[in-house]
Amino acid sequence: MKLDLAVIGQGAVTPAGIGIDALLHGKPVQTEIAPLGQPDKTWPVLRVNPKDPAFSRWQREPRLRRASPIAFFLVEAAEQALTGVSAEDRKETGLIVAFSAGCLVYSRRFFEGIIKQGQRSASPALFPETVFNSPVSHVATVLGLNGAAYALVGDESAWVGALQTASVWLQMERVKQVVVLGVEEFDPLVLDAYRSVRWLRRQNSAHGFLTSEGAAGVLVRRGESGRPRIISTRDGFIYRTQSQAAAAAEKLLDQIDPKLPLYPTAKNNWLGPVEEKATQDRCLLSTKDQPYLGEAFTASAAWNTLRALRRLSPETPQVLLPIWGLNHQLAFLQLGNGNS
Amino acid sequence: VKLKVVVTGMGAVTPLGVNLATTWDALIAGKDAQVPLELFDTSGCRCHHAASAKLPPLPDFSSKALRRLSRTSRLAIPAAREALASAGLLDAEGRSLARELPICVSTTSGGMAFGEDFVRRILAQKRSHLYSQIARYLPQQQVLDLQQALQFSGPSVIIANACASGANSLGHAAELIATGAADYVLAGGFEAITELVFVGFDSLQATTTDRCRPFDLHRSGLLIGEAAAFLVLESEEHAQKRCATPLCRLTGYGHTTDFFHLTQPKPDGGALIEVMRAASAQAEITPAQIGYLNAHGTATPTNDGVEAKAYQTFLGDALGPTRISSTKGAIGHTLGAAGSVEALFAIHALRTGKLPPQLNLREPIPEVAKTLVGANEIATDLQHVMSVNLGFGGSNAALVFSRSDTA
Repeated sequence: MKLDLAVIGQGAVTPAGIGIDALLHGKPVQTEIAPLGQPDKTWPVLRVNPKDPAFSRWQREPRLRRASPIAFFLVEAAEQALTGVSAEDRKETGLIVAFSAGCLVYSRRFFEGIIKQGQRSASPALFPETVFNSPVSHVATVLGLNGAAYALVGDESAWVGALQTASVWLQMERVKQVVVLGVEEFDPLVLDAYRSVRWLRRQNSAHGFLTSEGAAGVLVRRGESGRPRIISTRDGFIYRTQSQAAAAAEKLLDQIDPKLPLYPTAKNNWLGPVEEKATQDRCLLSTKDQPYLGEAFTASAAWNTLRALRRLSPETPQVLLPIWGLNHQLAFLQLGNGNS
Repeated sequence: VKLKVVVTGMGAVTPLGVNLATTWDALIAGKDAQVPLELFDTSGCRCHHAASAKLPPLPDFSSKALRRLSRTSRLAIPAAREALASAGLLDAEGRSLARELPICVSTTSGGMAFGEDFVRRILAQKRSHLYSQIARYLPQQQVLDLQQALQFSGPSVIIANACASGANSLGHAAELIATGAADYVLAGGFEAITELVFVGFDSLQATTTDRCRPFDLHRSGLLIGEAAAFLVLESEEHAQKRCATPLCRLTGYGHTTDFFHLTQPKPDGGALIEVMRAASAQAEITPAQIGYLNAHGTATPTNDGVEAKAYQTFLGDALGPTRISSTKGAIGHTLGAAGSVEALFAIHALRTGKLPPQLNLREPIPEVAKTLVGANEIATDLQHVMSVNLGFGGSNAALVFSRSDTA
């Protein structure tokens, strides 16, 4: 699908710090956290620092009083992407957020309350905050984004769906510009989940990923020549097993120009070997100078997009970015500099 | 931008029936699907009933494969097959004839029951069957279930805009077609009743312990339901090229966010009025041309009063001639599926002239008293219908469907 989205603004919240500089050069700190179901065993986790001064400006917002970390990550990343956009222009700005697990902290807490204290004690304050689009509503309200708002769900590839949706809204002239974000928050429950599907990295092992959290996003418009661009996408290469993923990768790569440099993204997850094999004859961009930020699903997809955009130059006018969804599908983005 | 999109297929599994035809017959007959809820223990809740659906058989699935399917997928697969079959896009083995088929769906909780069971087991330190539960819990797994059961692939979008999602998924699919991103899309919504969501609404005291009575002065809350509904949307050109018969056209879509409150609409219904106006403008019709409007009508004290005011403002003199009902009195609130199921009801009304009656009404809200559909009402010469939905987070959406022979 042709998108032709000009990237006007960017924002990032990461375990290595807040902002694009932290995304590119920051040093994340690992903490050890135990899963709910195995309190005596800890796993390394990469967390966003909740006390970062960047969050303090959002603490007094009435709509964020009860909000969980996911809303704070979102509002901060969105505000960075909207830097310089007037209040008037924000009224014609759309908002699309891609989630995987969504509002996990409150969902787990709400349901754990039902199990431990009984249905009668279920919290009416928590329940509305468990809904996928609650943080989207908070962000739209706090930042005055009067345009359309969608919450999209999926694996990493939901980020690609969000960019496609932004392109559709702009073509339909529903809004003048769109903020597109990917976001995830950490809860110890995900350690139970990822451990059960063997996705976590064991100590002294190169396989598996570190669980992470954060957000990132872009402000996109049509036109605006000279800006870095998201040129096109392809998605819908579905799989459930590693062999199906290999077939999907082969099918996808058959359809794209073999000369375009590719920014690899699957190194530390179960699809790493598939990506390595499928791209062995391709020109791969080095990612060694980038800090490892762990796996935060749609946020990771957004982080990788921002990093890949930085690789564009007159010598590298286009970059292919595969988005390996960990439990549904493979997609890719074709990125270009202002002249491509 | 004008939408040149036709509906060529429809299918549904609801608390009133295992397919669209049986559902529609029961709906028009005035049946109400409220039953005691048996999916899980509700002894700690105020409310103990719901509108639960009977799962259609899936004879092509082994018992092992059926165990791996979430209840949501058990509802979604037959509904999607029915929609594709009615569009002439299903083979005799229940597979899609289109190998590449974009899909746009909505849900609020996906396969949440698997997630709930996972949490129970984790907290109880039970470690068996964890993989199969967590691997099938997220909403994209229901999409993958559909893609693998019906053997198609292609782009997918999952919209989770709370209870307006089902309308968003149809509207977004229409926009994919209008912008040339797709020739046709399987679009719809699915939702199964889960404990987290049921107890959540119960904790808000939003569920009724009485009957569900939309637009009644003495309404006391909503009835939780479950369903799956799908439509095949196509560009007019694509439908013509493959000689598909259009059932109607999707001509208008409006959506916006109400900033007023996370769970309550602005008292003047401003956001709802805005989306109805936007959808009508895109369809190039006046409010008076809307013959039937399927309302959100949850039967909660706050929602229905605001909605009634919004209809009064939006319809003006057309209030009365435009007939309105909320079908949640019959099938309950199917949350992420609601917008899709209710769009199907509006389309059936458009095609047959039969209007879904406003069930369980004793004393109507005065603002809409003269416009609510009575029993056995038939409308002649319906040209356009509207379906509207609201959701948590301030999501508002409206869709306009028009007869396929209306210019």
